[in-house]
Amino acid sequence: MEKYLNILNIAIYGSAVLLMLIGLYGALTKKSLIKIVLGLSILDSGVHLLMIAIGYLKDGTAPIFSPGNEDKMNIMVDPIPQALVLTAIVIGFGVTAVALSLVIRLYRHHNTLRIDEIKKLKW
Amino acid sequence: MVGSPVLFVAIPLLAAFIIPLAGMMWKNSVRVIPGLVLAFMFFLSISLMGYVNEHGTIVEVLAGWKPPIGINLVFSPFTGFLTTLMTFLGFIVWLYSYKFKRNVDFEPSMKYFMLLMLLVTGSVGIVLTGDIFNMFVFIEIVSISGYGLTSFYTRRDSAEAAFKFLFMGAIASTFLLIAIMIIYSQLGTLNIADIADKMPMMNHKLKVLSLVFFILAIGVEAEIFPLNGWAPDVYTEAPGPIGAAFAGIVVKAAIYASVRLVYTMYDFSGAFDLFIIIGLITFIMAETTALRQDQLKRMLAYSSIGQMGLVMIAFGIGTKEGVYAALFLMFNHAIIKSLLFFSGSYLVFNKKNKYIKHVNGMGKYLPITSVLFTIGAFAIIGLPPFAGFWSKLAILTAAADNKMVVLIAVILIISILEAVYYLRVVNRIYFYDKKEKTEPKKPSINALVAMISLGIIVLVIGFYPDLISGILDRAAADLMDKGNYIKDVLTLNK
Repeated sequence: MEKYLNILNIAIYGSAVLLMLIGLYGALTKKSLIKIVLGLSILDSGVHLLMIAIGYLKDGTAPIFSPGNEDKMNIMVDPIPQALVLTAIVIGFGVTAVALSLVIRLYRHHNTLRIDEIKKLKW
Repeated sequence: MVGSPVLFVAIPLLAAFIIPLAGMMWKNSVRVIPGLVLAFMFFLSISLMGYVNEHGTIVEVLAGWKPPIGINLVFSPFTGFLTTLMTFLGFIVWLYSYKFKRNVDFEPSMKYFMLLMLLVTGSVGIVLTGDIFNMFVFIEIVSISGYGLTSFYTRRDSAEAAFKFLFMGAIASTFLLIAIMIIYSQLGTLNIADIADKMPMMNHKLKVLSLVFFILAIGVEAEIFPLNGWAPDVYTEAPGPIGAAFAGIVVKAAIYASVRLVYTMYDFSGAFDLFIIIGLITFIMAETTALRQDQLKRMLAYSSIGQMGLVMIAFGIGTKEGVYAALFLMFNHAIIKSLLFFSGSYLVFNKKNKYIKHVNGMGKYLPITSVLFTIGAFAIIGLPPFAGFWSKLAILTAAADNKMVVLIAVILIISILEAVYYLRVVNRIYFYDKKEKTEPKKPSINALVAMISLGIIVLVIGFYPDLISGILDRAAADLMDKGNYIKDVLTLNK
């Protein structure tokens, strides 16, 4: 049982970190603007998974004090990370939408999606 | 009490949503509403400052959940000072851009003022909130409205600047979430005062890790050196007044967030040295880069980054004198840099690429704007009798009290560079001949009023620095008193 739980933990946290690394890799190395936006979005999902994993409880119930459930406080999952993830998902959606609209603008302006052909502004 | 701190978030947010509706009925309302709202916020903030001086910090509980469970807003002498500064600058930015796009379309000006209101909401929210996740939400509000304002002009390369900003901002926001989750998983709370209270219990390695993620995330907005690649592009491509809004409002809020972390939430002193090192690198890099710019707005942007480095150094000194100097510098920078952005964008109005050489001989054509730009340039270099002199003096004395001789030497040497590139522009304004045939654009009356009032503030503070030193003193004492902050929030002695 203990071993099973350990594997599950590693699987969840590991996949969250893996998703974040994939997202960072995509965002930092890809040349296409669309792929960069995808990378940012994957990075976001990795963080969301990590947040959910922190609030996870094996055999937990929903954190609602319904009649007959008042004594189950110890096995209720933590609702705060879920609320935070909900907010973070909405924000991530907004950022992705803005990013894609900027990509459309960039495409109309430069007629290309490759980031190495758009560098006009420099440090 | 005249009003509650929650109005600082609620009213501009409401106004941002009402603007398009009211605009359908009366087109001019999109310009009038933001001004009324910002003026109201400024007066509310001043009267609350008076209340706070007499009765102590106001802690506003939202939705009836007391801290540490619910979200709370803290209006203390320190946060109140920043709120007053931001709302005042917001009002000045509105005044300057009142006639913005007046003769063109209705739609762009509506979007502009909506996003401006959201920018102010987010920045004031960052300063007032007492909850780190709430702070994350406000940082995102600021960022997203910032992307929108940056890409405002479709003709320029603004989408590219906005995309750069968005790229860094999006990665920063995930880092911020990771840092928040590390804190939450260890301490089980999101309230800043509660975190500060429980911080000694936290595992040391995770503490350092979360601080690194926080600094990386907030550093993007605060223009810390390796993370500020977006700043020069955004300042160049965004509309003129938005440069002032970024330098005066957004960056101040981000600096506040990093200072709140290091001074209140975390309890190790090594973070102060980190501030000095980051600040020094930022200061030196930005000022040397500013020296070789040939575009006016880019030069101002790098100068703005450099000043933020100086603020970080002053906060890193860690004594009350250091905090006092940092707050004085934040105040001066907000006022002076807005003045420079305002007058500078008229000096190079409608010129392609906004090169510095376009200001040649403008002293004859735009006398008032030129004088105001010169006042701003002298003030930011730190020449007496302008306001900038006192803040630089305060930093140097704070460093001298701690026997940081190298720091003083570096600040003075870099200040010479600063003098060189600002005086170069002033020299061009007055002693060069104008080559181009195009007629310079005369500033509209509202822009002139905004610029002149900023210029008057620079001069008045320069001659009578005692006018604000009392406020700054109380704000600095408030920031240094960590125990009091925790007590105020957690016991709620209203």
